[in-house]
Amino acid sequence: MTTTETAPTYSGDIYTDAALLEPYEDYRALRELGPAVWLEKHGAYAVARYDEARAVLMDSDTFRSANGIALNEPANEAILGCTLASDGELHAHLRQVVAHRLTPRALRPMKDLVRERADELVAELVERRSFDAVADLARALPLSIVPDFIGWPQEGREHLLRWAGANFDSFGPMNERAQRAMPQCGEMAAFGAEVVRTGNVLPGSLGAGVLEARDKGEVTTEQTMMLMLDYLAPSLDTTISAVGSAIWLFSQHPDQWDLLRKDPSLIPNAVNEIVRIESPIRAFGRLANEDTEIGGVPIPAGSRVLVIYASANRDERKFERPDEFDVTRRDAVHQLGFGLGDHGCAGQGLARMETESLLHALAQRVTRFHLGETERALNNLIRAFGTVRVTVDTED
Amino acid sequence: MKIEVDYKRCEGHGLCEDQAPDVFELDDEGDLIYQFEGQDVPAEHQTAAARGAAACPVAALRVVQ
Repeated sequence: MTTTETAPTYSGDIYTDAALLEPYEDYRALRELGPAVWLEKHGAYAVARYDEARAVLMDSDTFRSANGIALNEPANEAILGCTLASDGELHAHLRQVVAHRLTPRALRPMKDLVRERADELVAELVERRSFDAVADLARALPLSIVPDFIGWPQEGREHLLRWAGANFDSFGPMNERAQRAMPQCGEMAAFGAEVVRTGNVLPGSLGAGVLEARDKGEVTTEQTMMLMLDYLAPSLDTTISAVGSAIWLFSQHPDQWDLLRKDPSLIPNAVNEIVRIESPIRAFGRLANEDTEIGGVPIPAGSRVLVIYASANRDERKFERPDEFDVTRRDAVHQLGFGLGDHGCAGQGLARMETESLLHALAQRVTRFHLGETERALNNLIRAFGTVRVTVDTED
Repeated sequence: MKIEVDYKRCEGHGLCEDQAPDVFELDDEGDLIYQFEGQDVPAEHQTAAARGAAACPVAALRVVQ
C-alpha cells in the first residue's frame, strides 16, 4: 500500500470530564477524519475505525504492547512485565501461566456456582423492588466470586475496587486523574508483591497456581509480582461496567428486554451488544515497532497508537445503525470490546459467564426496569456508572 | 475455501459454534471439533463458516481462500 498521505490531526482533548461523559461525538469526528488521526493533545495516533482497529490488534509484531498500553511513560514503566504489557514469546508464556485456568474450558466447573450466586442475589434484590444496579447488583456478584477465585487474602480486599480504578485512570494521558491515581497504583503493586513474598493466597486458587509456577521455576519471583497485577487490575471493574450499562440500557429499551425474556437464548448475543455499544474499556495503546502504515497513513517507528475500541464498535462503516441498541444484531459478536488476538481479554469467559448469569436470573423475574437516579463514574479508561437506581416490576 | 484452526490458541469460547453449529462444535470437554479439517468447506456452509471464523475472540480461526 502506498503511504503518501499524512495523518489528519485532531486538536481536542478526549480525556476532559465532558469528553469522558459524552465521548461518542469525538469518536465520530475521529472516524470521519481518517483511518489514523494524530491526537495533538495526547501525542498518539488514534485508530477509531473498525477495520483498522482490528488490523492493529491482530498485528502484534508491528504494534507492541510493552511500553505501549498507556498514554504516559510512568504508567507504562509501572506495568512493564505483566501480560498486558509484554510481547511475543514472553507474552505467550506468561499468558499461559496466568490464564490457563481462565479459559472457558477450564471455567466449566464454575458455571453452577456463578449461576447460583446470581440467582440468589437477583431473588433478594427483586424482593426489595428498588435497588442500585451498580452497588447492589453489578459489584455484588463479581465481588462474591472473583477475589476467592483468585485467592486474595481477606485483608486488603476492601481496596480492590479503588486500586483497580486507579490503575485504569493511570493508563490515560498524565492528566489530574492519572496523577491522583499513581500513588494508589503503587499501593496495589505493593499488595501484589506482599502476596508473592508471604505466599498468602487461598489454597487451590489462581494466585496459588502462579506461585506454584514460580516454585517450579517457570517464572521468576519478579515476574510473579507483575503477574499478580494481571489479576488485581482488570477482573472487577470491567464486568461491573458491563452489568451497570446493561441495566441502564434495558431500562430505556423495554422492547429489547421483552425480546430477551421471550427468548433467553439471545442472552449471549445481548452481552456482545452491550459491550459493543457501551464498551467498558475505551481504548488501549500500542507502540509501533517499525515504520508502518495504518489504512495508508504513514506511522513512524516509535509512535504511540491508540486503538479506540469504543469508537470502532460504533463505526458506521462496520455496523448498521451503530448507535442503536439491538440484542438481535447479527454481527454484535464482532465487537472489539474484549480486544482481539494475542492480547484478547483472558478473563472474558468469566466476564461473559457472570453477565449472562445475572441477565438469566433477571429475565426470569423482572418484567420492567424503571430508571431512577444515575451517576457516571469518570475514569480515563473505563466507561461506567457509579449509580444506576432502578425500581423493577414483576409478573406477580 | 478452507479454514485453518490453531488448536493451541483455541480456548473454547464457543462463539464460532453459536455462529455456525454445523461447522464448529465444542465437545463435552469444551474442545473444538471442526467438521471440515483438511478439506474445502462445502459451498453451502461457507457463509456460516466465515462468520464463525470471524467471531473467534482469540483469532484461532483463519479463512484461507
